[in-house]
Amino acid sequence: MSFTQRILGRGRRALVVAGIGAATFALAACGGGGTDPLADSSGSPSAAAGGGKVVVGSADFTESQILGELYAQAMKAKGVDASTKPGIGSREVYIKALQDNSISVVPEYTGNLLLYFDPKATATTEAEIAAALPTAVGSDLKILEPSQAQDQDVYVVTKQTSEEKGITSLEDLKKISSTSILGGPAELQDRAYGPPGLEKIYGATFKQFKPYASPAVKVKDLNDNKIQVASFFTTEAAIPDNGYVKLEDPQSMILPQNVVPLVRADVASNTAAVDAINAVQKALTTEELTALNKSVDADNQDPDQVAAEWLTSKGLA
Amino acid sequence: MIWEYVLDPANWTNPDAGIFILLAQHLAYTALAVLAAAVVGIPFGIWIGHTGRGRFVGIGLSNAARAIPSLGLLVLVVTLLSTGIGPVVGVLAILALPPILTATAAGISGADSEAVHAARALGMTGNQIIGKVEWPLALPLVISGLRSATLQVVATATIAAYVSAGGLGRLLISGQATANYSEMFAGAVLVAALAILLDLLLGLIGWLAARRTNPGRAAEVAFAASR
Repeated sequence: MSFTQRILGRGRRALVVAGIGAATFALAACGGGGTDPLADSSGSPSAAAGGGKVVVGSADFTESQILGELYAQAMKAKGVDASTKPGIGSREVYIKALQDNSISVVPEYTGNLLLYFDPKATATTEAEIAAALPTAVGSDLKILEPSQAQDQDVYVVTKQTSEEKGITSLEDLKKISSTSILGGPAELQDRAYGPPGLEKIYGATFKQFKPYASPAVKVKDLNDNKIQVASFFTTEAAIPDNGYVKLEDPQSMILPQNVVPLVRADVASNTAAVDAINAVQKALTTEELTALNKSVDADNQDPDQVAAEWLTSKGLA
Repeated sequence: MIWEYVLDPANWTNPDAGIFILLAQHLAYTALAVLAAAVVGIPFGIWIGHTGRGRFVGIGLSNAARAIPSLGLLVLVVTLLSTGIGPVVGVLAILALPPILTATAAGISGADSEAVHAARALGMTGNQIIGKVEWPLALPLVISGLRSATLQVVATATIAAYVSAGGLGRLLISGQATANYSEMFAGAVLVAALAILLDLLLGLIGWLAARRTNPGRAAEVAFAASR
């Protein structure tokens, strides 16, 4: 057999395979077009449009899923037809889902939500942010009542690093940043309070940013000193469990993050749904939220189970 | 446009996680994993094929290894030991082992029996038979085993990025996190292209090896080697 026949198989079959391969690439190129291939189209019958059907989405981290379950189950208890779509992805992904009507409610955080819609916003206190949000999110979306429960991004170092290098605040980071590696979720890289903010506001430029898809691997690497600084959420169980030191933020680079539900306009006019969600918001505190996270992350319970128990204990379901 | 990430040269040369760096890491994981699997699989395969013993254990282990979920195993190993190259190469090597082992065993045991009988009749020792007759005849099949293993490993090495060890999977994971579908597409298309390239390369090597050892020559080889 000739060289090409040996490698590619008999001529005709090789041509067919090559043809299919070329067609696949061409199709992929045409089909892309920059639109989100994973979003439902707005007019699709399965979308949660009007008629009292509410779909609660959540991001790909525990707390968001717990909040999503709390909202959905509280609404169900008040007779609203609510369902959940958990673990969608980061803010960039689920906001698109909200705008495409694949979901109609999502738990959010005041500070980062404002920055997402208005990167140049100058509001820094809880009140300022709450006042600026309604205009920032536009007319299709509305925010419901912010809760006193807060959860913000926080940078941590291990107790050892803090004691040896004298690092207790983000101001101290520039002492070690040029020889240190920062770890965090992939989307942190471009956020205003991520590496760009650390450089601009605190003068700390890291040697490298390592994205982590799995928080467990991030904890492992931080403990093994493969990374020196990592970003977590203030309510995560990993921080007290590993004795990490939370770094202070004297320049308020990280805005206050009160839990706030972001909903589509039609859900905002559904009184039963709004009342149910706001009742959850009133009853929630940072300590309770931390304890709920711990039950799921450290004690391995299910978010929907944990949410159901909490709602019953508060008389909301 | 879906192609924009791949076509932007800045994404290739970016010193932090540019495509060249990720490609190099991906290739390194593939090469090391297949090498490690070959170092274990080829000798074991030769032994099984030549002596006909240990078949049950060898093939059984190899089938079991095929069933292991690589991503799950990788996360387990990383949380028990540490992150780094070792766990990634180890888990990928387990994935690469079955094709190499079975191909080698099949190649050695299926070597033209007339040539083997001729060699035995000429008084060659077991090792001589393996080295001068069975191995050259089995080579095309061994290379096809390596080819199959390489293909599987190239496709699966994307899991390295899940434990932050780099490789082309990083484009898939980061792209998904930031809803940058162009980046995800770049990761997918590069893995596919790399797989095709390596497959063609190993196909070429396999063809060269097969040219050397057509059955007619086996008897000549055995006769000449006994001189």
